[in-house]
Amino acid sequence: MNSSRLFAHPFIGIALGIVLTVISYALALRLHRRLRSAIPILVACVPIVAVLSLFRIPYSEYNRGGSFLTWWLGPATVALAVPMYRNGLVLRAMLQKLSLTVAVGAVVGMVTAAGSAWLLGAPLPVVMSAAPKSVTTPIAIEVCRQLGGIPQITIAMVILSGVLGATFGRYLLHLIGVKNETALGAAIGTASHGIGTASLVRHSDMQAAASSWAMAAAGVFTSVLASLLALTMR
Amino acid sequence: MREFVLGIAIIVGVFLFGDYLHRLGVPIPGGVLGLLLFLVGLQTNLVKLKWVERASGFLLRHMVLLFVPLTVGLMNMGTLLSRQLWIICISTVFSFLAVLLATGLIGDRVLGRVNDQMESPNEP
Repeated sequence: MNSSRLFAHPFIGIALGIVLTVISYALALRLHRRLRSAIPILVACVPIVAVLSLFRIPYSEYNRGGSFLTWWLGPATVALAVPMYRNGLVLRAMLQKLSLTVAVGAVVGMVTAAGSAWLLGAPLPVVMSAAPKSVTTPIAIEVCRQLGGIPQITIAMVILSGVLGATFGRYLLHLIGVKNETALGAAIGTASHGIGTASLVRHSDMQAAASSWAMAAAGVFTSVLASLLALTMR
Repeated sequence: MREFVLGIAIIVGVFLFGDYLHRLGVPIPGGVLGLLLFLVGLQTNLVKLKWVERASGFLLRHMVLLFVPLTVGLMNMGTLLSRQLWIICISTVFSFLAVLLATGLIGDRVLGRVNDQMESPNEP
């Protein structure tokens, strides 16, 4: 039987899209455990793209199942409240000052990303896709859609920001003389969301807590700011 | 297992409520609205941490799975992406450095003092 016809089936097609994605993700996680440099999100796409092009299945047909998984980004955003609450207890004494720091970082992130893309001559949808590039993926995608950007471009920039922070973040902050552990964590969480935060976990609990809190807070600030922006654009 | 299902149900319920408020006209997206409501729920002890700890941990650990389908969509936009690739890279690196350094330096200034204050009561 022709496999591309299976993907076109109303129910089997949806199930196939989900199963194909989950299997590819599981394989990517396995490879990542052996080879740390194999970034799961990129590796997971390889078998899917291979299957789709091999059987000439259009993306829209695959995405009928895929969009079921995409929907869960909403609940995943809500779930961010749990680490934010837990780390908020640890950071209780400095939450006000930390909020101020992260809010400034969130504004700097939107302005410099969108501004530099605009100055380099990018078309408006690309400029809008750049704006939320510092924050965690589920929130970045929501903000990107709100501003009329292209989610795929946002995802690419979000991942690049995360990898940069995980690789060079601590080194750069030490270089410019940032000594306060909470400030260091806040900077990495604001600039490099979850990927940066994960790189701090083995160094210090305080840095990781600050980074995790900052990542959620930066997402909230960016989203609220973008909502206000979207209101004025209408 | 029961705890996990309960946690997922609470989280999805909060998301749907946030999304409903968004549709009613609140400008903030449903997910972020849900996050804020959920945070208030946890802080007021309306939602107990142990009800939702496992479910939220699971969702966050496997978040990457959730944006695989969108990332696969990158292949549909090869031409647009390759034309904009340099802009995307330069703008990301530049903005990354700006956010990291600005947040780090401001944080060091502002929070450095907080740490001093926290330590001072221990001094004679």
